Amino acid sequence: MKNSEPENIGAHSRRTFFKSLGTVAATAATSQVRTIGAELEKINSEKIIGPGPVPVTLTVNGEKLKLMIEPRVTLLDALRNYSSLTGAKEGCDRATCGACTVLLGDTPIYSCQKLAIEAQGIEITTVEGLAKDKRLSKVQLAFIEKDALQCGYCTPGFVMSVTALLKKNFHPTADDVKHACAGNLCRCGCHPHILQAALKAAGVEHAAKTEVITYA
Amino acid sequence: MKAFEYATAHSTDSARQLVADKGAYIAGGNDLLGLLKEYLVEANILVNIKSLPGMNKIEHARSHWTIGALVTVAQIENDADIKKHFPGLREAAADVASQQIRNVATVGGNLAQHSRCWYFRHRDTQCLKKNGDLCFARNGENRYHSLFTGNTCISPVVSSLATIFAALDATAIVLREGKEIRLSMAEFYQRAWENPLSHNSLGQGDLIVRVEIPTARPRSAFMQVSDKHAFDWALVSCAAAAEVVDGKLKSPRVALGSISNVPHQVETANQFLDGKVLDDATATHAADLILKDAKPLEHNGYKVPMAHALIRRTLLKLKGDA
Ligand SMILES: Cc1cc2nc3c(=O)[nH]c(=O)nc-3n(C[C@H](O)[C@H](O)[C@H](O)COP(=O)(O)OP(=O)(O)OC[C@H]3O[C@@H](n4cnc5c(N)ncnc54)[C@H](O)[C@@H]3O)c2cc1C
Ligand code: SF4
Ligand code: FES
Ligand code: FES
Repeated sequence: MKNSEPENIGAHSRRTFFKSLGTVAATAATSQVRTIGAELEKINSEKIIGPGPVPVTLTVNGEKLKLMIEPRVTLLDALRNYSSLTGAKEGCDRATCGACTVLLGDTPIYSCQKLAIEAQGIEITTVEGLAKDKRLSKVQLAFIEKDALQCGYCTPGFVMSVTALLKKNFHPTADDVKHACAGNLCRCGCHPHILQAALKAAGVEHAAKTEVITYA
Repeated sequence: MKAFEYATAHSTDSARQLVADKGAYIAGGNDLLGLLKEYLVEANILVNIKSLPGMNKIEHARSHWTIGALVTVAQIENDADIKKHFPGLREAAADVASQQIRNVATVGGNLAQHSRCWYFRHRDTQCLKKNGDLCFARNGENRYHSLFTGNTCISPVVSSLATIFAALDATAIVLREGKEIRLSMAEFYQRAWENPLSHNSLGQGDLIVRVEIPTARPRSAFMQVSDKHAFDWALVSCAAAAEVVDGKLKSPRVALGSISNVPHQVETANQFLDGKVLDDATATHAADLILKDAKPLEHNGYKVPMAHALIRRTLLKLKGDA
């Protein structure tokens, strides 16, 4: 790994140099002001925090959430137990069911296997953030229309996975939907209707022959 | 999970200093958080390595490609050039877990992921791998376990990327005490072959920085069979890679995952395949050689015919259209 920053300043390593200098002196210092500024910024961000509560700011559904939480708190926990966003569900808490799926930017992730502290600085969308002006999103509407749920526990996760898919693939095939939803499990066995709902939301429901169980 | 300190490293030097004797690096966190939640790993500090510069890139040179340790599995899956030049790597990446995991899982974390043995993963059992005196799987439930091992532990390596990297003869570059060392996939897992306490050859503080893949094998393929069609580790996985010149294999390599505590490779099979035209008979003979010394246990005997079929199919996929 090549590092573009100077590793040694004089005889000291960067770390001991700044430790011995102290922050105030360092800011005022010398001809290397620019390097030092950059170095300081790095060292400050390399600061050790925790294990007790630390300030964490999350941007969820367009709003800032300012929390005091320990570094070990997962994003799912931060949403459900430290704010009142219970849309994302806890199923397994081990990255194996998909009930906790949220979007980081446009990317679906499991919020149970992500530390909240690592989800700062990027827009988080939960199922609560999909409806605009009290109108459900087309994915949510399609789930209702296609009766794509029974108990509903897995539904927020599936809705987020399908929402993410339709953001990058406007005309998904049944296989695309299956690939995108492979990380979401439905205990009630609604997969065929979920597939229909996803295709319906994409407006391709009649184009693809899907493996839906039909009762003729 | 026990409470821990947390820091983000911006240079490999400070990552090493911060992690010290009792910390752990966190990349995607998929495996690490699971281990911490079950109290299988204890770390007084998690050192976030995702801000280390230059480690999230895929770079091309004539003789080899470089994949940074922070490149995500999804990045590999979606890279059009990888699909063209290392189709087997793309297939392996697309088969890893689910998109939610691939979006955050990194190459380094995938290679270093820990045992999936259910006795190991159970917080109340103390098997050999956890400093106990017994391997519970040997005489217990061993349907997901190895056909080959160099010691008593039969927990296999399950990283899909390790399987395809082995077939492509890739090298992991690891920073150990300030120096880069180069490990073939066999070497990367060698310690797991020798010692039940290890699941790979990394020591505390060792940092995977990148993987280098030689371009010598433009044909490659990966296949896996799992209990579930998707979102599951492989029961058996197989990767093959070679160049095909005038219909004949050149420098072929075959590797299998989930059947040994290292990516399973048999040099005599690679030698046998070299210069051959691929057909059913050649593929079958190679599969025989690769599985010759398999030692199935009570519940994992099904893996032998499964691996045999998978080797044949994966090899025949190398033929492509030519
Ligand atoms: C349901 C399910 C199915 C799965 N199926 C598959 C599958 O089919 N194939 C497959 O390969 N995987 C599979 N996985 C595993 C998953 O791919 C891994 O957990 C993931 O790749 C780990 O990467 P990460 O970046 O999240 O690692 P982390 O959890 O961040 O790290 C894992 C370990 O590696 C260490 N580490 C991370 N980066 C480095 C580095 N650069 N240098 C040194 N040490 C490092 C960490 O300290 C930790 O010990 C599955 C997982 C689940 C939950
Ligand atoms: S196979 Fe290895 S990890 Fe599993 S019980 Fe035996 S010693 Fe433990
Ligand atoms: S709760 Fe996160 S995947 Fe199950
Ligand atoms: S509707 Fe009950 S788990 Fe899916």
